[in-house]
Amino acid sequence: MNDRAATYIEYAQAVPLAYAIDMDACVGCGLCENMCLAGAVAYDDKVRQTDVQVGSIILAPGTKPFDPAGLDHLGYGKFANVVTSDGFERILSAGGPYYGHIMRPLDRAEPKSIAWLQCIGSRDTNQCGNGYCSSVCCMYATKEAMIAKEHIHGDLDAVVFNMDMRTYGKDYEKYFMRARDKEGVRYVKARVHTIDENHETGDLSVRYVDEEGKVCVDEFSMVVLSVGLTIPEDATRLADRLGVELNKYKYAKIDPLAPVETNQPGIYVCGVFQGPKDIPESVTEASAAACLAGADLSAARGTDVETIVLPEQKEVAHQEPRIGVFVCNCGINIGGVVDVPAVQEYAGTLDNVVFTDSNLFTCSQDTQEKIKEMIIEQGLNRVVVASCSPKTHEGMFMETLEACGLNRYLFEMANIRNQNSWIHSKTPDTATEKAKDLVRAAVARARTLKAMEEKRIPVNQKALVVGGGVAGMTAALNLERQGFPVVLLEKTDSLGGLARRLHHTIEGADVQAFVAKLVADVSGAEKIEVLLGAEVVGFGGYQGNFTTEVAVGGDKRSIDHGAIVVATGAVEYEPTEYLFGDDERVITQLDLSDRIAEKGVADVDTVVMIQCVGSRNDEMQECSRICCQNAVKNALAIKEQSPDTQVFVLYRDIRTYGQMEDYYREAREKDVIFIRFKEEEPPIVEKSGDGLVVRVKDHILGQQVAIEADLVTLSAGLRAADTETLCRTMKLNTNLENYFMEAHVKLRPVDMPGAGIFLCGTAHGPKLITETLAQAQAAASRATTFLAKPEIKLSAITAKVDTDHCVKCLTCVRNCPFDVPVFDNNEKLIKIDEAMCHGCGVCACVCPRQTIQLGFYEDDQLISKVDGLLAEKTG
Amino acid sequence: MIVGKRKPFEEIKDLIGPYKKVLNVGCGTCVAVCLVGGEKEVDVLSAEIDMARRLSKEPIDIDSITVERQCDREYLEVLDDKVEGYDALLTMACGAGVQFLAERFPETPVLPMVDTTFIGVNQGVGWYEERCRSCSSCVLGVTGGVCPVTMCAKSLYNGPCGGTNHGKCEISDDQDCAWHMIYERLEKQGRLDGIIAFTPAREHENQVPRTTIQPGYKKPESEQ
Repeated sequence: MNDRAATYIEYAQAVPLAYAIDMDACVGCGLCENMCLAGAVAYDDKVRQTDVQVGSIILAPGTKPFDPAGLDHLGYGKFANVVTSDGFERILSAGGPYYGHIMRPLDRAEPKSIAWLQCIGSRDTNQCGNGYCSSVCCMYATKEAMIAKEHIHGDLDAVVFNMDMRTYGKDYEKYFMRARDKEGVRYVKARVHTIDENHETGDLSVRYVDEEGKVCVDEFSMVVLSVGLTIPEDATRLADRLGVELNKYKYAKIDPLAPVETNQPGIYVCGVFQGPKDIPESVTEASAAACLAGADLSAARGTDVETIVLPEQKEVAHQEPRIGVFVCNCGINIGGVVDVPAVQEYAGTLDNVVFTDSNLFTCSQDTQEKIKEMIIEQGLNRVVVASCSPKTHEGMFMETLEACGLNRYLFEMANIRNQNSWIHSKTPDTATEKAKDLVRAAVARARTLKAMEEKRIPVNQKALVVGGGVAGMTAALNLERQGFPVVLLEKTDSLGGLARRLHHTIEGADVQAFVAKLVADVSGAEKIEVLLGAEVVGFGGYQGNFTTEVAVGGDKRSIDHGAIVVATGAVEYEPTEYLFGDDERVITQLDLSDRIAEKGVADVDTVVMIQCVGSRNDEMQECSRICCQNAVKNALAIKEQSPDTQVFVLYRDIRTYGQMEDYYREAREKDVIFIRFKEEEPPIVEKSGDGLVVRVKDHILGQQVAIEADLVTLSAGLRAADTETLCRTMKLNTNLENYFMEAHVKLRPVDMPGAGIFLCGTAHGPKLITETLAQAQAAASRATTFLAKPEIKLSAITAKVDTDHCVKCLTCVRNCPFDVPVFDNNEKLIKIDEAMCHGCGVCACVCPRQTIQLGFYEDDQLISKVDGLLAEKTG
Repeated sequence: MIVGKRKPFEEIKDLIGPYKKVLNVGCGTCVAVCLVGGEKEVDVLSAEIDMARRLSKEPIDIDSITVERQCDREYLEVLDDKVEGYDALLTMACGAGVQFLAERFPETPVLPMVDTTFIGVNQGVGWYEERCRSCSSCVLGVTGGVCPVTMCAKSLYNGPCGGTNHGKCEISDDQDCAWHMIYERLEKQGRLDGIIAFTPAREHENQVPRTTIQPGYKKPESEQ
């Protein structure tokens, strides 16, 4: 969008957050190498070849946005105000070319209206050959529209031109509704065929055919092309070198029942290379691939690890504080503004400070060595580093202390960069004075610091899996392959769950054979104990040391385990609408697939399928994700068995995301008739004589049509299994729809908020069997990471109650966001279990008698810092 | 539990008036539990007073201490060698604590920082509701555990009155009729026949401070 300097950081969140040289822009002056204070630039660095011996390979080459330059009718590259969606992300970004102010490229004017055009480079076999749906564009367009409306002062007309809105992910439908109903983003069902520019204003005229068949021309200040996901060429070359087979769209060819495995044993895939997908699924697959790669190598686990032996800790409790202060220049980040030598000199005048130093980069390896030397040589028993935010390097500095026998909690930082030199860069004198104040405050706190012991707790290396469906069994098997014993609980009398009612995946994979094999593998696994008819009746303990009481038959059993995988699944919604239960010809999709498999449909003339039954309505706002592909799958199966049977699918948006779009196209080619209805005008199913009639308004004909149906199939959505008692017993949280909540929707999709507890399958939200398998492998992987360590070191930053002065008022019990403090009825005391405490400090703040102290942040440690800050400067 | 509410800050400032050196005394029992007068609230109030007086250029010397209970003389003992030199004592205890403190240090002004509101229950963090008026003649056994003295606007021992209005009290739609609640509770327990019995009105005139001596105990000789 604008020129980039030859040395640049890719984007603000890049990992590593480091500069690179753009060799296309570089003139080769070599100045960077000479100027770099840290000596970090090796200008003549060459590509080096290194041999690495590995046991397995994971391919995660990522994606490249579709380049719309070849699509003439859109004017990209020709009209300045037509941008791609990733270009628009840059416009929205505070670190982007316009610093987050929304402007259009042509004249830097704030746009009054923006059109998003969906499916650019996706669902388009005509112009670009990409027949698949890119899965993510409906959501990002909605997000961009909402952010644009928020940033632009005054009214912005934001319009998303789409064929179907595919907001099928967990909580996505609610997000879409918020954009449409609350924020006023408009959604128009149309595919734009031409864009022209008004040469005087730079505005763009967008030409499309509306639902009634009328040609419309609307003007917009800007157009954003919602470009799809594609596979970069270097990824296809890599696959070629490795002999990994790709499909026609260049995605890795996978078996739907082995979602992250390639045709090459030991080579796994994850992310968009496996198929178009959003962040949570990518993260999930990454863990799944790690699970399989790790299982191949589990015998070698821990063999190539360097162990660090720490010296014994010095006793400092009764010593007078001897504080060393290290002031950082941070290259020129601090030193360019703050008078660092003056700050260092000032630090030397403070009580108990026996050593000071200033460094170019205090975080560098050689400075760590110097800190260690000085701790020993000067007998330092407290260390203060005045540099950046503790978020960046505190952990590393603490390790430096530990490495020479000083307790890690005898460390304090003063943030003289982020909170000082960066914001006071125009007033260096003030910045220097403030740096002195911050150092004085840090030294004051350092005097009060105490050595703290980090408790180690053993981990019981056994896992408990709750739920014996495909998710639970897969998680159990993969944990077993990693070498851990597993107890698998199933509340019914047989394994298999909802998958027992599935026949084939949309790709044609045999689910029944797969489930049978899975059941056999689980039953035959040496380290898996299966408890059928089991119910959780009691629960206690904490990460690494849970105890679960299980009732099996008439017996009660107590199971000790270190981790939990929750895989309680979901059930098909039982419809109350469309005569279901009233007329036996009204059935669900699962019933229909049974009939296709058992009896066939040759005797049926007409099947009408109705989508979104029990989904996307007032009672259940969310989309059930699986029903559209289910309808297409069954429609194709009918056409396969009985080409003359007419199939109608009445839908609101067809959500065959990813590569399932091909099956939707195939269904249309095989004359399955898709009729869109509006939420407010649902179809009507009536008995008429001996038959059933379905009435619906066809939006293309603009008329009511009546279809005589032999079978009406309801695409009943999914509902979470009833886990109310389980949640109460095991203290687990679900969302409004009763699906379990993950620790972080995008970044920790299979971890639950409590440590040592993981989640997979439809208990997390509706999903396909392929997605469930990946998530179950991912849950096993996350649980493996947790169980592989024989013991966990707990943070010493936990709350402690002085029970002598506690009045048991329960204020801490009621305020703790993690339900950690409890009143112990036997000892009649308030107890805070340090293994469960998250160290957030809420209880310490609310305690009316100030009897709770948070380690490392005790009252006097905080107050001394404030007092230090406010004290008059001396020296 | 006894529940209190901190006095409005303006009133607190007026009460402290001219004093230049004060000791703020908290109480670690009921008022601590109801989040009004324990260590934390004492520190908060002291800081507020300190700041307000600095801003009005009349600095004050204020110290803080919280005793276990201000209604037990043993716990007040710790103050004996501390109060000298203070112009006044501030207390965040209930009315009983205030008076007991004032009795112990009759030479020093003792100023309440808290209004004692009621004997009540804790419905949630910081949320208290009155349940008892300490009338000395409990009828809860015959009223199904609903106190007519506390819950009825007229504190009627025999009700309801003519103001009962479909389960609500005539004074407000937010106020449930105590006697309606009593009726419903007793009906649920199959004890309605008892509701007819007349309970003589409590003698409210000529009230004197009440004393209770538990069975098996007596006042020390010296106090008799």
